[in-house]
Amino acid sequence: MLEIEARKEAASRTARLDAVFAALADPTRRAIIERLSRSEARVTEIAEPFPMSLNAVSKHIRVLEASGMVERHRKGRDHILSINTHWLDEVDGWTVRMRRYWGERLDAMERLLRELKKDHKSRRKDRKRGSR
Amino acid sequence: MDRGDTTGPIVQVRRRVKASAEQIFDLWTKPELMVRWMSPFPGAVDCKASCDLRPGGAFSLAMSSGESRREVSGTYVQIDRPHKLVFTWIGPLTNNVNTLVTVELTPRGDETDLVLTHERLPTPAIVEGHTRGWGHILDHLAEAVSQDSSL
Repeated sequence: MLEIEARKEAASRTARLDAVFAALADPTRRAIIERLSRSEARVTEIAEPFPMSLNAVSKHIRVLEASGMVERHRKGRDHILSINTHWLDEVDGWTVRMRRYWGERLDAMERLLRELKKDHKSRRKDRKRGSR
Repeated sequence: MDRGDTTGPIVQVRRRVKASAEQIFDLWTKPELMVRWMSPFPGAVDCKASCDLRPGGAFSLAMSSGESRREVSGTYVQIDRPHKLVFTWIGPLTNNVNTLVTVELTPRGDETDLVLTHERLPTPAIVEGHTRGWGHILDHLAEAVSQDSSL
């Protein structure tokens, strides 16, 4: 039972990460995230700098909301957007983890190269001795 | 290499390695050498590797150490010995989703510059080509397209 729960957890985590990466694949959406990382903002404020209709920006915002990276709440008549940093942490976690992983693997690769070089040298010595 | 506008987060690691590009390329592609450094487990490890070194060919690494077991696998995308190796990579560490690894080797005298790029799919790198026979990647692309078509 626990294993099934764990697998479900992993699957939904994967789906969430995929949604985050798909959302980040677009430059407009990355610019929106960058803007919101400075402070929360109204939808109209977010839309202002972009050379596209409010409607087009709203669609990008909806993709970001669906990915869980951006949250919306209402203040009177205004819709306020803010970042849910939990999702960004999850993405960062992946890159940090992978960077460490590859660093360690490349260390191991270099250790093996040194070993192989040593073996090669001693084999050559053995051959020389044998030929004498 | 600036692909910041076209992909999600990328992990890139650079190393200058004291070996020839050919020697390094073989470490990545010969099963008897792969098992000697690719396992992340410390100490005694039973590691089995198999690879079918051609574009579209599969590789797998099965590692076990005591109670722990881990399996990673993938599909070769581009094989250009000794300059470039591109393969998909899936395992527990990638949350069992497909990722793409590119290893680029540039000779610098007696040494070699190694640049490893690890990126999550879907990415435009896949769209650029090499898509034949890739069930997983096409699934991811389909997902990405269906998500984007909601725009």
